Amino acid sequence: MSGLLTKAVRDQRRGLVGWGIAVAAVVAMYAAFFPSIAKSAADLQRYIDNLPEAIRNIVAGEDYSTPIGYLESEFFNTMGPLVVLIFAIGAGSRAIAGEEESGTLDLLLSTPVRRAQVLVTKAAAIVGSAAALAVVAAVSIALFGPPFDLTVPIGNVLAACSMLALLGLAFGGVSFAVGAATGRRTFANAVGGGLAVVTFIVHAVGPTVDWLRPLRPFSPFRWYQDPGLLTGGLHARNVLVLVGIAVVSFAVARIAFDRRDLSS
Amino acid sequence: MTNPIIEASALTKRYGSARGVEDLSFEVGEGEVFGFLGPNGAGKTTTIRTMLDVIRPTSGTLRIFGLDPRTDGVRVRDRAGYLPGELALYERLTGSDYVRTFASLRHGVAWPYVEDLADRLSLDLSRKIADLSHGNKQKIGLVQAFMHRPDLLILDEPTQGLDPLVQQTFYALLEQQRERGVTVFLSSHVMPEVERVCDRVAIVREGRLVAVEDIGELKARARRRLDLHFDGPAPTEAFARLPSVRRAEPNGDALMLTVEGPLDAVIKEAARFTVVNVETREPSLEDLFLAYFGADGGPPASDPSSRSETTS
Repeated sequence: MSGLLTKAVRDQRRGLVGWGIAVAAVVAMYAAFFPSIAKSAADLQRYIDNLPEAIRNIVAGEDYSTPIGYLESEFFNTMGPLVVLIFAIGAGSRAIAGEEESGTLDLLLSTPVRRAQVLVTKAAAIVGSAAALAVVAAVSIALFGPPFDLTVPIGNVLAACSMLALLGLAFGGVSFAVGAATGRRTFANAVGGGLAVVTFIVHAVGPTVDWLRPLRPFSPFRWYQDPGLLTGGLHARNVLVLVGIAVVSFAVARIAFDRRDLSS
Repeated sequence: MTNPIIEASALTKRYGSARGVEDLSFEVGEGEVFGFLGPNGAGKTTTIRTMLDVIRPTSGTLRIFGLDPRTDGVRVRDRAGYLPGELALYERLTGSDYVRTFASLRHGVAWPYVEDLADRLSLDLSRKIADLSHGNKQKIGLVQAFMHRPDLLILDEPTQGLDPLVQQTFYALLEQQRERGVTVFLSSHVMPEVERVCDRVAIVREGRLVAVEDIGELKARARRRLDLHFDGPAPTEAFARLPSVRRAEPNGDALMLTVEGPLDAVIKEAARFTVVNVETREPSLEDLFLAYFGADGGPPASDPSSRSETTS
């Protein structure tokens, strides 16, 4: 069993280093932009504040001039999820379907391990990787933020980064389940990635499109961001929704993977 | 059979419209080296993968060590070693990391024995698998199949891609396992290999079992090619009338014979003439199938290989 986990962790490591660097680079870049953006955002904000309330509600998003508003909209609502989701969806579909397509799963399952054990170790390695990316993001923010006056309480940063990891696990879990159920990696990637894009659009555009608004609760992004990633700390209900998606996905993977023939 | 290690009864696997295996029944006794002979696509790999519970039979039963691989797969696989036909390894690992990974999933792997196996196969475990030749990868497959000293070896086309020298080493390893009383289930599409190592052979074709025979009987029924070269015109008639001769074709001073069963009558007939040279050819799988189908008015006895050989 220990060999299974070592192997699963080793599989993640190579990709993880690259994605960790990507996260840190994105954070560093946005931190460096903050001083100039905060300055012009303050001018913009003064202009917005003078608009009639109805118009103001449409135009105004996050407050770019504050560290929290800036970090939320630039990192946690856009680039952060993008990087973490690409990593998690890829890892999820590779875990079973990738190994099945490359043919190595046959020999692995010829040893006295249960299929469920293989699933558990692979899933554990992905959870570990998502957690590691969240830590990298938090450390990067704590490290690169202050020199550019981008200072956010560390507790809030940790809460937001945890939610980021959970968002990744929710979508990565879907790809994991589709891959385990079908053995098709590209398909698993497409389902996870497609779902992420569609639900992101529903969440982002929903407030301004009447017929989309009722669908917003079905978007994991709604549970990821509301009411505010960096302001309110962790919300039990939000955590439960994202963890729930990941757990249900794993259960589906387990049942489906146990029942089917492996492709040769 | 005193103590069957593998029992298949009406084992059937269908894949949608594609062919799997149909109604296979056979037993493999303890300590037996059992050949599973058939052309590519006959269902050999399908049968083997059901033994490991990688795929599940559509119907019929399969017992290994008296256990159902479907429900007791872990206990079955604990005692079995497997070499897949299409070997896919973790290319980024070194041989030794790979073997260690698999050793940790099994009981009873002694590292000195792994090193001993690698030595005998002249395999360098320190190299990255991606950098190894096909034959060397196959050796890693063999090491992981043998390393835990399994009671049952399931080998799918084990000598594929091995150079002749390593094949000999493999046969020696297999002989050693046989002496230890290990049961071996070996699939192959080459007749000489099966003749060489197996006690009994099941012949499969298009997903069905054609016959299960002792190697001796199989040899007796097998058709052989024999070319006799004479110092004058070939005496075709003298040979064509022998009951064991299925085909006799003169080609100048040479006579090309297809003989079923013992060569004795042909040799004694040949002794009456001046024979310059004798060439024999290993019986091919096609020759073997002809022995089972052709003579008994089964499927059409077309024999493209013999025609091509007479013209070459």
